[in-house]
Amino acid sequence: MLFAAAVLAAALPGFAVAQDAARGRELAATAHCTNCHGADGRSQMEGIPSLAGQQPGFITLQMILFREGIRQVPAMQAFAQNMPDKDIEDLAAWFASLPPGPPDDRNARDPALFAAGQALIGPRNCASCHLPSLAGREQIPRITGQREDFLLHTMKEYRDGQRVGADTVMNSAVFGLTDADLAALAHYLSHRD
Amino acid sequence: MIRQTLAAGLIAAATALPAFAQAPAAPVPGWAVGRPEGSTLAPHAPRLTVTPLDQVPVGALRLPPGFHAEVYAHGMPGVRMMTEGPNGTIFAGTRAIGRVYAISRNPDGTTRTRVIAQGLAQPNGVVMVGDSLYVIAVNRVLRYDNIEANLDNVPQPVDMTAAFGLPTEQEHGGNHHWKFTILGPDGRIYTNVGVNCNVCQTDRDKFALLVSFKPDGSDRRIEARGIRNSVGMAHHPVTRELYATNNGRDWAGNDWPQDTLHRIRQSGEDHGFPFCSGGAADPQHNMGHACSGFVQPAALLGPHVAALGMRFYTGTMFPEQYRNQIFIARRGSWNRARLSGYDVVVAHLDSQGNVMRLEEFMTGLRDDANQRFADRPVDVHVMRDGSLLVSGEQMGAIYRITYRQ
Repeated sequence: MLFAAAVLAAALPGFAVAQDAARGRELAATAHCTNCHGADGRSQMEGIPSLAGQQPGFITLQMILFREGIRQVPAMQAFAQNMPDKDIEDLAAWFASLPPGPPDDRNARDPALFAAGQALIGPRNCASCHLPSLAGREQIPRITGQREDFLLHTMKEYRDGQRVGADTVMNSAVFGLTDADLAALAHYLSHRD
Repeated sequence: MIRQTLAAGLIAAATALPAFAQAPAAPVPGWAVGRPEGSTLAPHAPRLTVTPLDQVPVGALRLPPGFHAEVYAHGMPGVRMMTEGPNGTIFAGTRAIGRVYAISRNPDGTTRTRVIAQGLAQPNGVVMVGDSLYVIAVNRVLRYDNIEANLDNVPQPVDMTAAFGLPTEQEHGGNHHWKFTILGPDGRIYTNVGVNCNVCQTDRDKFALLVSFKPDGSDRRIEARGIRNSVGMAHHPVTRELYATNNGRDWAGNDWPQDTLHRIRQSGEDHGFPFCSGGAADPQHNMGHACSGFVQPAALLGPHVAALGMRFYTGTMFPEQYRNQIFIARRGSWNRARLSGYDVVVAHLDSQGNVMRLEEFMTGLRDDANQRFADRPVDVHVMRDGSLLVSGEQMGAIYRITYRQ
């Protein structure tokens, strides 16, 4: 554990600030994050992402984009508004510490859809940024252990120019994919454990 | 030269059309062309939280003898391009965090930072035109009149978006839509319109351009064509010629193409992208063009270094050898196995304006042994006292470089 923390610090001096996951846990309760994102960080609500095991750098980045009004999701606006950096980083540390997993009511795997999605992972170079495990790194999110509906919604937003991240790589990555392609990718990712 | 360029343009049109007609549904999207199987290169994570002063790596900076670096201002996540108001306020744009900062100097020499605009899409282009601050955020052009007198109560800007008519975020497909903006000696506003992909056949009257406008947004003129994405430009203080940095394409190898410096001697000339980069044929997109038919780059600035903000040194504080030479911030690579850039270099010109050599000026941020970086320089700005500001995007700080004999 210590070793891993040291490696992360070495790779990214910018993130070497001490984050307090225990404080993040309290904040998540008092700020009502867990009402929607799940008590264990696994969302049981349609359209709401799971945050368990998510990359802390990704959560931090997205919260700042909410706070600054760059990424506009009405449900998140009131929570992110005026939130200090420290609170954001502590919340991110706590959600990142939770084990990722699917929602309790995940649908059954459709082998054809699963295979169709899997076949797009290589040509679209998903592993280039999200890494072969698809667990992400730093500002790049984990895309396994996520809700299928949310994955599909997100990829459509990127494809249709309704969302950008810190950079525009995702917009390029899903460029030209059909709704059916995205549905297959979302199904594959949500069933890849 | 003009005739030659026109001819090349006609050939481009003639050869490009059949290729479009015949192109089958590509199994690999254009942005991924040349990407090696299994590569895990990805853009570096930004830092959008405040970096405490004791973590700003000013102590790591290395400069030639006699130069000294200090922290001018800090606590500005994502700080990038700079412009200075008549009363000495520095305005700085950003990308992801969507803010514009104003940095003013207190009587005791310390600085005060305000956020004067936020929630904008990539407000990277900032330039003062008289008392007005222009902010260009993708295609949005906002003019803040008499800004320095209103830093504590910033009025609603005048929206100039329709007048400028820049391509929208959707038209760019999210690609290379952030701007670098300057005021020319002719009173026109100059900016880039980056290419709407990594590398592709595109509308060459609309993307991969340098353009200029009258300050009211009228009279658009193409200053240079075939420049992939320029995020730095400046006019020579004596010859008034425009020079511009350019970011080369990705996924064509660790050492090709190099980022480039372009010299615009005549408005409208073609610098060759996507057919040629750095004066050589693109492996996938040359389409049969002779690269000698395009304007050649004035200098090669290094592979994947991300050569961005550039300014001529017009002060008198630095030694004579730096006068009218170009300082260039190299933000640093991601699309390369080993890190390159993360420094400020000087392009030395001869009396004709030809680049004679590149010289490292500010180093120390790139750790080659451990493949780490401590900050990313994105712009330089010459203060009226001759000192040089360097913005560090990663740590949200602006460094000030002075010289003492």
